[in-house]
Amino acid sequence: MASPTVERAAEPATPTDTLLELDRLDVRYGGVHAVQELSIRVRPGETVVLIGANGAGKSSVINAIMGLVPAAGGQIRYLGQDITRSSPASRARAGIRISPEGRRVFAHLSIEDNILSGGYTLSKAKRDEALAWMYEAFPWLAARRKAPAGTLSGGQQQIVAIARALTASPKLLLLDEPFLGLSPVAIADTSAAIRLVQERGMAVLISEQMARPALKLADHGHVLRTGTLRRSGTVAEIRDLALSEDYL
Amino acid sequence: MNGFLQAFVNGLTLGAQYALMALGFSLIFGILGVMNFAHGAFYALGGYVAYLVDKTLGLPYALAVVAAVLMTAALGYVFELVVIERRIDDHLATIVLTLGLSLVVGASLLAIFGPRSVDFPAPLTGTLRAGGVYIPTARLMIIVVSAAAIAGVYLLLYRTRLGNALRALADDRTIALAQGIRPKVLFPLAFGLATGLAGLTGALVTPIFSLAPFVGEHVLMISFLAVILGGLGSLPGAVIASILVGLVESFVGFYIGGSWAPLMLFTAVLVLLVVRPTGLFGAKAAHV
Repeated sequence: MASPTVERAAEPATPTDTLLELDRLDVRYGGVHAVQELSIRVRPGETVVLIGANGAGKSSVINAIMGLVPAAGGQIRYLGQDITRSSPASRARAGIRISPEGRRVFAHLSIEDNILSGGYTLSKAKRDEALAWMYEAFPWLAARRKAPAGTLSGGQQQIVAIARALTASPKLLLLDEPFLGLSPVAIADTSAAIRLVQERGMAVLISEQMARPALKLADHGHVLRTGTLRRSGTVAEIRDLALSEDYL
Repeated sequence: MNGFLQAFVNGLTLGAQYALMALGFSLIFGILGVMNFAHGAFYALGGYVAYLVDKTLGLPYALAVVAAVLMTAALGYVFELVVIERRIDDHLATIVLTLGLSLVVGASLLAIFGPRSVDFPAPLTGTLRAGGVYIPTARLMIIVVSAAAIAGVYLLLYRTRLGNALRALADDRTIALAQGIRPKVLFPLAFGLATGLAGLTGALVTPIFSLAPFVGEHVLMISFLAVILGGLGSLPGAVIASILVGLVESFVGFYIGGSWAPLMLFTAVLVLLVVRPTGLFGAKAAHV
């Protein structure tokens, strides 16, 4: 897989150096305004973190980008194209993948089948290649490849969920609360998995309540409260506010 | 001894019939979340298509079976695509729609072929003799073809990319969507596969049992019983329970009397559901 920067060099037509852009995004559930006029962007290969307490709207942002909840207003642009009304399946095919909140591995499918399901749109050779990469990076996955994913621990399920999202070598990886409910050891493992993604040049958007481990991985961050942006900047710029938000 | 073996072979034949029906019913329920009450109608339709091709057109029986599978699969595919797809998440609507299709198919068969069962003789009439016991080749053929079909479905589900996607859809539809899997493409396929299995069953077994417009309703009811017995949503459970049900029906009919078989079956299921509400093989939330 060529890194996105190499691909971009071959396509000078791409207007800006922006991979994903949210332009005044609104998400509503009934009368509840979960996200209000949120504008952020993610550059190729960059890791961006959305920090906020429970109910700040982080998951709504992630799910709206994947297309799992509809945008009530505003625009989502990906690779310069408006994808606000695209189906989740076509967004997945365009290179956006998600590790959803609560992992949501396919509980009755084996570890191997979970990873392969992420490569539904790929050729057999590409699927096998992805599988080999995952097994090399996480040898325990290979050792337990026939185990139903529902029988794994939360930390193991998080690795499977990330592996599933990586099978198709996405350009943008969405991680919704990857550290939630994990032990310190599992947090370290998950962080290692995310670093592996970064080394491959993929862009990552993480939503997290636990600011500390997420800030260690990110370049840029945004602090959300009740669906609106409180502060944006480099990790150094937002660290203090993000950590205080952590304990709200 | 010969009687025992005969009852055993008959039980396996019944079990094979129920297994193919229960497998298709469970596939549709597991993947689409729809109870297909038209499944018995596809069984009857498969029988009549085979009857038409074999008896009226005079083509070979094997060809008649293939035609029955293709016709019922195509009808299932189109019905899902055009009708069910619009109301897929409305359980009440899909129950009414599949019941409605069942009535439409049954009434059409009634209008075309009449209420009485048609004469569709078994294609194979010989018996296999081995060590003093006789096994009718027609029943042996049904058992072998059914086993092959079940093995084929297993391989499709567990060894192919399509099967992987179908199982992912059964497990968590939203997250399957986020893998680029398109239910609008795969749901009609799954439905057509399952109704094709029902058509295959009808084409295979109606020559040795009977063929009348509403003959599928009773078979579907017993198969539904097997689905519950095996644990709703569990495919291996549905197949194993179907074979058990077939054997029980046959042995009870042989040793006690045919009219006792349904009573014994329903009592057994009732007791089982009290003792083990998830069925024999059902987990807390069983899936494909």
